[in-house]
Amino acid sequence: MLDIADRPTSHDDNSAPPAGGSPIAMNVVNRWVPHNIVMRDSWFPVAHDYSVTGKPVRRAVYSNPIFLWRDNGVVVASEFHPNERVVRDKSDYTDARGRYPVMEHYGVVWIWLGNPLAADPRHLPSLPFLPPKGGLPRHMTATVRFESSAPISLENLIDLTHADFLHADVVGDERSDSETIETYYDSETVTMVRTCVNKSVAPVMKFFSGIKQPTQNVRQVIRIYLRSHCAIAYGRFSPGDDVPLFHPCTPETRDRTRMEMVMNTSNAGRMFSYVMPKAGYKVSRQDSYMTSPQSPRYMRHTDRKDLHSKFDQAGQRYRMAMMELADRQAKGDFAYRDNVSADCSDIIGLRKELFQF
Amino acid sequence: MSLDTDLWWAVARSEEVTSKKPLSVDIGDQPVVLWRDHHGIARALEDRCPHRRAPLSLGCIRDNGLIQCGYHGWSYDGETGRLKEIPNMKDQQKFPPLYKANAFGVSEQAGFVRVCLNPKAEAPLSAEPKYSYIGTVNVSCSHQEYLDALYDDPALILAIRGVRFSPYIMSELHEEGGMLVMERSCQWHPLHWPSHFVAEFPLTLLTRTHPLTGETHLTLRDDAFNDLLHAVLSPVPAARGVTAVRWRAELGVRRPGLRGAMLRGVNPLTVLSSIDGSKLRTTKPTVSLHGEDLRNALLDAPQDTHDQTVAA
Ligand code: FES
Ligand SMILES: [Fe+2]
Repeated sequence: MLDIADRPTSHDDNSAPPAGGSPIAMNVVNRWVPHNIVMRDSWFPVAHDYSVTGKPVRRAVYSNPIFLWRDNGVVVASEFHPNERVVRDKSDYTDARGRYPVMEHYGVVWIWLGNPLAADPRHLPSLPFLPPKGGLPRHMTATVRFESSAPISLENLIDLTHADFLHADVVGDERSDSETIETYYDSETVTMVRTCVNKSVAPVMKFFSGIKQPTQNVRQVIRIYLRSHCAIAYGRFSPGDDVPLFHPCTPETRDRTRMEMVMNTSNAGRMFSYVMPKAGYKVSRQDSYMTSPQSPRYMRHTDRKDLHSKFDQAGQRYRMAMMELADRQAKGDFAYRDNVSADCSDIIGLRKELFQF
Repeated sequence: MSLDTDLWWAVARSEEVTSKKPLSVDIGDQPVVLWRDHHGIARALEDRCPHRRAPLSLGCIRDNGLIQCGYHGWSYDGETGRLKEIPNMKDQQKFPPLYKANAFGVSEQAGFVRVCLNPKAEAPLSAEPKYSYIGTVNVSCSHQEYLDALYDDPALILAIRGVRFSPYIMSELHEEGGMLVMERSCQWHPLHWPSHFVAEFPLTLLTRTHPLTGETHLTLRDDAFNDLLHAVLSPVPAARGVTAVRWRAELGVRRPGLRGAMLRGVNPLTVLSSIDGSKLRTTKPTVSLHGEDLRNALLDAPQDTHDQTVAA
């Protein structure tokens, strides 16, 4: 049932497949225990920049405590609350003062969890549709939480067939004249491109963008940065709007996920640009309805294999790529073999002219 | 808890199983989804979609009787559990036999839907009528503790209008046709004398319990040997040590007078949704202790002595 193109991004036919260039091995895919995957040496998005002020706010990545505040306007990410009477040991993830490497970019605060000496802005995921210095209006942002492990939420995202079904009232049902799905990947990312010709118009666009036609052509891209558990969800609808979404799934714990969402709707109609980011609340509740009960069922290994359809290939690739990276990390190899900060506009097919900063 | 897979558990009352909305129940640690297909037949599958493990009970029932998972919309046939349809693959007619959810045996009789984890097991036959007083409670107490409470003091778990259970037993727990049977003396309420000074009791409660499922038939009798009340109480072990109890009851012979009228009130039987912990812990295990030995002896005996056809 598996017959859809799936290829490594940098693979030409004469070279040996790069790491991660293996064919999808179902026995690996079925060994998926997302709760056991813990990534480090990575930037994790933990807060919208406006949420961090003089008063410390608390975050967590894999249960590691993080307190964020501003000192003379500069973000500080500490393992300890300034008022805390410290009775626990400092972790290896922070410097002598208990501070994590931290940076502000794309309107988001990122902390580096891993070897602090390895922290490098070059490992920050490329999000070319967000202004590097931030500043998008707040109504384009939201915070959403999921009672599921972060990889479960990301698997949900990269599997777009559920959207036609679970979110049909927002994004439209599955009917279209043709549908192709392609998957590209390297050792740090998995990207899926789904192209639908004459797909049922998304109701949210019908109502708020005034699309009169019954169908539209749709190109949807999901790009996941594996280590950071961050995704880009970019939809190009014609007729319709260009809607790129930053969809991080930060693992606050191994089975609770925080999403500091940013949807850049600056190019869409005024109504739509207000409504669409809010649709995220509805869509996320629909997802949560399924992923919350699903997540505990993946907490332990089982010999029972999941069933798959040809539409699950991107999700399978995601599982495999995550497990490969986790395996490498288990062996103490935290090096980046691919550059996550290189501009991915071409890969996601971003209409650059609409997003000039 | 590990359960004998050939047992039939009354996991629902007939009214609870519809083609409007799937019903989620458990048999021990096994989640089960129940619904009624377009022919009105009750179906039971494992409440876990084999695609991405979402509970099927969060899905819906289609006009063609299939159950559809709410996540990606895969549809399954209730009889075989086989996958019949994937929304984006409408033209694909057939899926490999491996593409199926676990199907369980279902049998519906006397107003109860019984499920057996072994789909090939033969359903027991019952000649029982369908009693019309009904109820469902989920009690946070283990299955065995629940039955022990019933044996030691029925007032811990149920109430019969106008009737008071006494601590005096006419017949201790014994085996009769593969069932655990006992009979307890009862009084009308309010009392005339405390039970210890009563020479003759006007009522008895006869209980017949299946040694494995704990499904219990209760009969309230007066001293003229009239059956005043019949009830079936079906405790099923559920998730997290909870016992799910479904019951049905019917009045028997019409008893004249005030007491009869009281019994005939709104609902003659109440099955409590919680057990008073302070009463439970101080209730002395008497009948139940004896019952444990008896049950063990019974279960060691050749299989046909606890044939479930007798139970149902
Ligand atoms: S989990 Fe049931 S259809 Fe995907
Ligand atoms: Fe979704």
